[in-house]
Amino acid sequence: MNSFSIKIGGEAGQGLVSVGNILLQAISQEGWYLFSHRDYESRIRGGHNFTQFRLADEPVHTLEEAVDVLVALDKATIDRHRQELKEDGVVIYDPSVQGETIDEPGFVAVPFVEVAQDQGQPKVMANAAAAGAIWSLLGDDLERVNGIFAAMFSRKGEDIVEGNKKVAQAGFDRVRDALGHRDMPPKPANAGPQYLIAGNPALASGALAAGVKFMSAYPMTPSTGVTEFIAANGRRCSVIMEQAEDEIAAMNMVVGASYAGARAMTATSGGGFSLMTEAIGMAASAEVPVVVIDAQRPGPSTGLPTRTEQGDLLYGFGTASGDFPKAILAPGDVQEAFYLMGHAFNLADKYQMPVIVMSDQHLADSYETTIPLDMDKVIVDRGEIVSGDEAGPDYKRFALTESGVSPRLVPGSGPALTVAAGDEHDEEGHLVESAEARRAMMDKRMAKMKGVAEEALPPVLVGDDEPELVLISWGSTKGALFETVDKLQEKGQKVKGVHIKQVYPFSQDLEAVLQGPGKKVVVESNYVGQLEKLLGMEFAWKPDGCVRRYDGRPLNPDYILRELEGGGHLG
Amino acid sequence: MADKLFQTTPRETAWCPGCGNFGILNALSDALEELSLEPHDVLFVSGIGQAGKTPHYIKGNVFNTLHGRTLPAATGAKLVNPELTVFAIGGDGDGYAEGGNHLLHAMRKNVNITYLVHDNQVFGLTKGQASPRSDQGFVTGTTPQGVSLESFSPLATAITLNAGFVARSFSGNKSHLVETIQAAVNHEGFSIVDILQPCVTFNKINTFQWYRSRVYDLKDDENYDPSNRTAAWEKAQQWGDRIPIGVFYKVDRATLDEAHPASANGPLVKQGVEYDGVKEILDGFAVNG
Ligand SMILES: Cc1ncc(C[n+]2csc(CCOP(=O)(O)OP(=O)(O)O)c2C)c(N)n1
Ligand SMILES: [Mg+2]
Repeated sequence: MNSFSIKIGGEAGQGLVSVGNILLQAISQEGWYLFSHRDYESRIRGGHNFTQFRLADEPVHTLEEAVDVLVALDKATIDRHRQELKEDGVVIYDPSVQGETIDEPGFVAVPFVEVAQDQGQPKVMANAAAAGAIWSLLGDDLERVNGIFAAMFSRKGEDIVEGNKKVAQAGFDRVRDALGHRDMPPKPANAGPQYLIAGNPALASGALAAGVKFMSAYPMTPSTGVTEFIAANGRRCSVIMEQAEDEIAAMNMVVGASYAGARAMTATSGGGFSLMTEAIGMAASAEVPVVVIDAQRPGPSTGLPTRTEQGDLLYGFGTASGDFPKAILAPGDVQEAFYLMGHAFNLADKYQMPVIVMSDQHLADSYETTIPLDMDKVIVDRGEIVSGDEAGPDYKRFALTESGVSPRLVPGSGPALTVAAGDEHDEEGHLVESAEARRAMMDKRMAKMKGVAEEALPPVLVGDDEPELVLISWGSTKGALFETVDKLQEKGQKVKGVHIKQVYPFSQDLEAVLQGPGKKVVVESNYVGQLEKLLGMEFAWKPDGCVRRYDGRPLNPDYILRELEGGGHLG
Repeated sequence: MADKLFQTTPRETAWCPGCGNFGILNALSDALEELSLEPHDVLFVSGIGQAGKTPHYIKGNVFNTLHGRTLPAATGAKLVNPELTVFAIGGDGDGYAEGGNHLLHAMRKNVNITYLVHDNQVFGLTKGQASPRSDQGFVTGTTPQGVSLESFSPLATAITLNAGFVARSFSGNKSHLVETIQAAVNHEGFSIVDILQPCVTFNKINTFQWYRSRVYDLKDDENYDPSNRTAAWEKAQQWGDRIPIGVFYKVDRATLDEAHPASANGPLVKQGVEYDGVKEILDGFAVNG
């Protein structure tokens, strides 16, 4: 794979997002594969934020640490990131912001505001100057970028479109004049139709394709994108997104809506997830299907609000008091984010239990180009539902069955009545306390885990069948893991990569992998090694090593390779 | 005589003999009988506490949820199926302590449900601790020196928040309670009925006799106007030797279900995947090179 990385840094509120959006569109439209991650602080103005773009001639799902181009809208960008520059790299910076002109090879001074003003345009068009300057390294003219200006600004008037074009051209020329024509990053031969989508919209679209009818949530980074996406499509997709007074209310509303018969979900992050757990337990006891997205960020407490971590796995596993059936899914990229939401709803409905989808900031906020998402592949299975007309007067909501699943009645759908409770109950749903009844109901609920385990999604395997090294990870680490495997294979190593997208219960297929050939190393973004611990518990197994990251930044192949080397796991 | 539709089931209750909950149960059942509803049109969402058990003894759909969380659960159900007549039922601890935040917001949102609070001024199920409704001086296991705080006023709070229908009734006055519940159900919007209910075991102060000798019906005052918010708020301050019961305040406001355009085509529980809508969304992600 040939890839090319651009990092744009600046203060919040400086227009980073606008330049970023223009580039996302332009790069993907131009035909490159793209992966882009936002690194931002928990503030509205100031600070230091950056967006990194990695374009490639093959599908790309992770970042590299070194960059080809550094674009500095603030001083901190050069101070902090210049050591990341590749040999022959280019730095585009604003000398008025930097406070000096840097006379070094590859450094190009573009006073963004001044460039805009020279063209008789307002300061805000500094963004267009930056976009044009960057594009001089990616294209020989600005046709592509101009098309995006037209799409973005035509509603604001032709003047604005033309102004942006002029400023972009001036930015473009500055860099061209300084550096001349350089080789452009190689493009894929024929990528075929592509989508450009981030994790949050992929999760939300997956839910809409699965027929979610109700969502309630309380805003919390990095999950808010899901919530706002569902809210924005309320009318179009007949779904209610009700902003709750807190996450306790959100979760309880979801349980109420699902009890009443609607597919219902919520999305939150660590602190909010903590508040939801009592109601998740109630859903389990009353056998109400619910889907909960936990977009993880570093904890404990509010932790690092805008950063990433895979630190909630054991909390998800141990969510709420008592033993109850549940499943935890962990999408590794936008494709899995979309399709696993449908699967989550089906599992929840089929087994009438909570299903937790573990996302994280890395997945939530990263854009990827990807093959189109196909809603015809989303199958809706509502599980065993009876109407109040069919059920008859002797209907028992919690009738004891071998599978543990009892047909669910939608209240109001006919004369039969449904009674459910979070307190322990008998088959009819009324409260009981006898030892026998308790045992029977526990056995019934837990019997569902047999079915859940049997259909647990198998791990995704790449690399060698007879490996010397097996790298195991879960969730959003997938991209970094698989590229690490590619890189090691290129060096002649026999490596296998294992991506676990269902982290509870595990697929039995994992047993063979864990007991099979090769040294096993678990790669994950948390301090204690939560996947490792859970695998150990479920399979009485111990790996040979681990790679962990807990500084709030996403894992990438460079980091993993360095740690593998340091741990003595390579050759 | 034909069976009553909502008649209480012969199930043994978990209540003490003489409990005020019996009066509420009977009144609720009678109130529904006359409302030309069928049990399957009705959903009782209840909390945890002695009050929260009520729906298990009456005919209807039941969801007995968590302590303090009746209102959000009832809200979720009502939003996806406005055709259901939804009750939220719980104790004073459930609603005014654990669930306080939800109460504020359910009133603000004007969810079209009826909230019955069995107000015995004590935590019954957990065997007699102070509730936000306990009177000053009330000695309990958690307040051995007696409650020092002023008691919470649910009605004044509800009126402050412009709740749709704000009433108080008394479990010892069945006809009043039946009438009040019916009016609450018939009101389009959030209705709260705080029901004075003796706890015969853990509240030896606020007994049947205590309440009976104090309550008077707001209707006895011909000049009382439940559309006058300021007067209603002042009336809600009255507590002690004389305790008003009846409808304190009523206002018509848009309900939460009306605020969501998604419900325009009928209850969401009857709707499936919006294929075209989702397709449109997905097409929007396409890169047009
Ligand atoms: C989260 C939680 N905290 C505490 C309890 C214990 N608890 C059960 S009922 C109750 C108070 C009951 O008082 P009230 O709501 O007034 O109902 P009553 O029994 O008086 O009808 C408490 C504290 C619980 N079930 N859940
Ligand atoms: Mg009480």
